[in-house]
Amino acid sequence: MEPADAWHLTDRLNAEHGKGDPFAAAIRATRMAMIITNPREPDNPIVFVNDAFLRLTGYAREEIMGTNCRFLQGPDTDRGAVRQVREAIEEVRDIGIDLLNYRKDGTPFWNALYLSPVINETGELLFYFASQLDVTDRVEGNLRVLEEKERVEREVAKRTRDLTEALAAKTMLVHEVDHRVKNNLQMIASLLTMQTRTIADPAARATMTSMLNRVEALGTVHRRLYQSRDVERFDVAAFAQDLADDIVRGSGRTDVRLHLDLEAVEVPVEKAPPVALMLNELITNALKHGFARERGGVLTVSVRPDGNYVAIRVADDGHGMPENATGVGSFGKRLIENLSRQLAASIAWHPANPGTRVELRIPVGSAPKEPRS
Amino acid sequence: MNGPPLRVLLVEDEALILMQLEALVEDAGHVVVGTAMRRDEAIGLAQALHPDLALVDLSLCEGGSGLDVAQTLRGMAGTMVVFVTANPMRLDDDLGGAAGVIAKPFTRAVVAGGMLYLEECLRRPPPVSLLPRGMRMAPEFRAS
Repeated sequence: MEPADAWHLTDRLNAEHGKGDPFAAAIRATRMAMIITNPREPDNPIVFVNDAFLRLTGYAREEIMGTNCRFLQGPDTDRGAVRQVREAIEEVRDIGIDLLNYRKDGTPFWNALYLSPVINETGELLFYFASQLDVTDRVEGNLRVLEEKERVEREVAKRTRDLTEALAAKTMLVHEVDHRVKNNLQMIASLLTMQTRTIADPAARATMTSMLNRVEALGTVHRRLYQSRDVERFDVAAFAQDLADDIVRGSGRTDVRLHLDLEAVEVPVEKAPPVALMLNELITNALKHGFARERGGVLTVSVRPDGNYVAIRVADDGHGMPENATGVGSFGKRLIENLSRQLAASIAWHPANPGTRVELRIPVGSAPKEPRS
Repeated sequence: MNGPPLRVLLVEDEALILMQLEALVEDAGHVVVGTAMRRDEAIGLAQALHPDLALVDLSLCEGGSGLDVAQTLRGMAGTMVVFVTANPMRLDDDLGGAAGVIAKPFTRAVVAGGMLYLEECLRRPPPVSLLPRGMRMAPEFRAS
């Protein structure tokens, strides 16, 4: 408790502001902590302190009257902020600043200090007036928000790093799997190639060669998928060019000229193998039947987008497709029928006079959005 | 085929693919003078045999690299190196010092067409036949 005559300690103020002054009474009674210092005395001592200040800081009036108010500073008070206050005092101007101050019992609080010089009519500096507001909750709230923001940012950065690493690992894995698939297809083709060379019977040899062509077509699908660097989409036109070139070249038929009419059109990667096998059957059949018995000519392969469809046309200007070549029961025919079903494609054989024109329409469809289980 | 067959060294660590390549190169009318599955074996054979052409797998047994083989063979006059690889995209435009690259999986037609093209490059340049689509050549070996 402060002594009963403590109010005498502020009597010096009465020189200019009488004790009955309602403004002085208001300052004494307000809940806002306030002090007045006298810069005309050595070390700018406190000459007035209100009760709110004593409640805020825990000091008794007689402990702090006549002292410089730097006793509020403590170990974690920002020296830079203190310097700003000192500069304001030296330059006789006001300042508002948040300072970490300490109570008598050593507990810290954030002090929203507002300090301003009091100057009389002749321009003479009389006092400094300072108000203190405990804004610990606001400052610490802001600090917590900042810390939380930094924590979230660190978390996001770490998560992003993890995901990037996971994606890189997944991409590497896809490439590795892809590499093995291609290697295995090459090994199957190797086995078939070598086995075929040992077969003397022409019919059996032709059958093995057909199988080898199909395996090679699948191998070309995987080679193209890898080269396109797109693991989701497959360009049917670019594949058709590779495949047709390969089949005609592989047939050794220099009397058959290849006419390509291509425009890029992509299907989801799941459709690539059945589309490739279909194309392989159609082009192989055209060569085998359309240009049978040493009859040469032009083999046309057209792949173009048509709305939501891939429109494929394979035509020969030779013998055309005899009825029995597409008859029930042949393996190639059944393969085409079932691949058409899988792709929901429509297929039609038209006489081209001369030759045969096969029209195939495959719905492009879209890649499944959700990951397959 | 005009002129003597090409003398070919095959460097491939997958036994089946090595056997198939051997068959396809011979079917194309050329002679396989040696086969290697490992880097040092490949370099030793190349130095001993001086083949006209070496078909080299990029990734060899025991982590050996076909690029090393290509580097060594490039210094040897008279041997052309062509890579056979499932990773042709890893090579830049100068193909790691090789004259060409055949992408895996290759087809019989690509190897047959490729051998014809390479024979023309070596025996009677410039090549006149069409380069198969599963194959890529370094700029100086491209048909004009």
